Amino acid sequence: MLRFLWAVRRLLRVLIYALTTAIGLLAFLYPVIVSGQAASTPLLLAFVVGLSFVALLLEVQGDAVNAKFIALLGILTAMNAALRFAEVAIPGPGGFSPIFFLIIVTGYVYGGRFGFLLGALTMLVSALITGGVGPWLPYQILTAGWVGLSSPLLHPLTRWLRAEGCWTEVALLASFGLGWGLLYGALLNLSSWAFIVGPGAPMPATFRETVRLYGAFYVTTSLVWDLARGLGNVALTLAFGAPTLRALRRFHKRFSFTYRLQGP
Amino acid sequence: MLHAAAWFVWLTAALIAVSTTRNPLYLTLALAVFMTTVYVIRRPGETYAAPLAPGRFALYVIPLAAFINALLSRVGETILFAIPQTWPLIGGPITAEALVYGALNGLLLTALFTAFAALNLAVPIRDLIRFIPRAFYPVAIVASIAVTFAPATLRQMQQIREAQAIRGHRMRRLRDWLPLFMPLLTGGLERALQLAEAMASRGFASETAQIHTGRTQAVSIVGLLGILSGGLLTAWQQASWGVALIVGGSLTIATALWLTGRSVPHTTYRRTPWGYREWLVTGGALVAIAGFLSWGEATRAYNPYPILTWPAFDALAGTALLGFLLPALVVE
Repeated sequence: MLRFLWAVRRLLRVLIYALTTAIGLLAFLYPVIVSGQAASTPLLLAFVVGLSFVALLLEVQGDAVNAKFIALLGILTAMNAALRFAEVAIPGPGGFSPIFFLIIVTGYVYGGRFGFLLGALTMLVSALITGGVGPWLPYQILTAGWVGLSSPLLHPLTRWLRAEGCWTEVALLASFGLGWGLLYGALLNLSSWAFIVGPGAPMPATFRETVRLYGAFYVTTSLVWDLARGLGNVALTLAFGAPTLRALRRFHKRFSFTYRLQGP
Repeated sequence: MLHAAAWFVWLTAALIAVSTTRNPLYLTLALAVFMTTVYVIRRPGETYAAPLAPGRFALYVIPLAAFINALLSRVGETILFAIPQTWPLIGGPITAEALVYGALNGLLLTALFTAFAALNLAVPIRDLIRFIPRAFYPVAIVASIAVTFAPATLRQMQQIREAQAIRGHRMRRLRDWLPLFMPLLTGGLERALQLAEAMASRGFASETAQIHTGRTQAVSIVGLLGILSGGLLTAWQQASWGVALIVGGSLTIATALWLTGRSVPHTTYRRTPWGYREWLVTGGALVAIAGFLSWGEATRAYNPYPILTWPAFDALAGTALLGFLLPALVVE
């Protein structure tokens, strides 16, 4: 009976992941699919993205009510937000950002839920500290959460390659960082596309023409930035990946203990 | 200091008002109102905390948006010059109308940014965290830990840097950052362990407690299905049904939040008072949005295509926008 319940809850969890991903993708792609929207769609879209994030967060935080998990997450978020603060204060080349490295690596070692929460909370907390709260925040939070949520997907690959502890593991993480560096830019661009191109503008009639237009938008606004972000992730992972993985695994052992009441 | 909820009402009304219009006259007026608010509530002598002040944001975003839109939109009668058609992706005529429309989008973005800047300046971080719903109390705890520890982390970064500099460490390549990064990471992890022990010894959930049950999972799935199908229907030109489904889904997810939050005990140590200032600010914002939406009905929309015209202005709607000035007037 208990096992049956467990299986049902697992199924529900997978359903929630799938549905929120579908809604998020729909919201991101909406401005490209539809032409001639009503005037307030960018805000409505940000609202819908925020809602699907709320549902996902409700699911993901289920395991977080635990002092060790909360303390670890809080400290790592503080660290990552401080790194982002340094990024805002000292602008690096293009869209380079040091935060994705830690999100990807901790998601990989400590699991997708931890990665999701670290990604989302890094964006939230750094926005609070630097005063960067704005309509773009839900998109940033959701996308950075996806980065951490998806990085355990590398596990089957490393197991298949027997790469654990080898340089191939670091190389895999680096290529994953390159991919997400580009994808993050492309996704956030889709969200600002709605603001920049704006409603009421005569949009192309065919889907193919829209894609061509988005290509022009992407190449003119963000390709260089995204490349800088992706290559920055690669450089950081290659330089820091192996020692960081070792440190996180060592602490994983130290964190996985349980308290037990002593009594008759 | 104004109650944070009053600021939220003000911000929501301001965002809705601004994003329903593309009329440059209203946009400029709203931007001026928001800028005045930011200027008044900024404490004198304090440097601006956000990476960009609204004025600089405008200087950066408006030309950029105009440039991008001119490249993307090839409609309009007043052709300024043409890029040869043989150039890939960007070939075609550049029109004055597209430039103007892009600049208007940039102006709208600047107005949104400025309204948020006012919120960021006026409401302390602690009060923003307090607005995280009760259902997310683990997240709220994590956020407040992170906000508390972020300055300490920055300080620690500085200390490690100085220690390594004294030992003769030089920064030349990326790998030279490793002796800075690893002590920061391991120090942080050690500190997390200490913090966890301190929390557990004070009786904070040393074992995992479930607050998210199968019932709330099911409720959120129903809500998500509503939003997804609503979004798809809206995309397929069934706007009224779609919006109804989206609203229904949102309410269902709100129910899931409420169900989860109900199981979390919550006490308030200190209540922020809600006085006449808060009534004035919320009232002003609500009157402003209602007035602007009803009186500005005819003049809100502005379309420069196919040829530039002078935008219309309704004096009553413009006056209504001045309701957003109340925080600047009543703040002490």
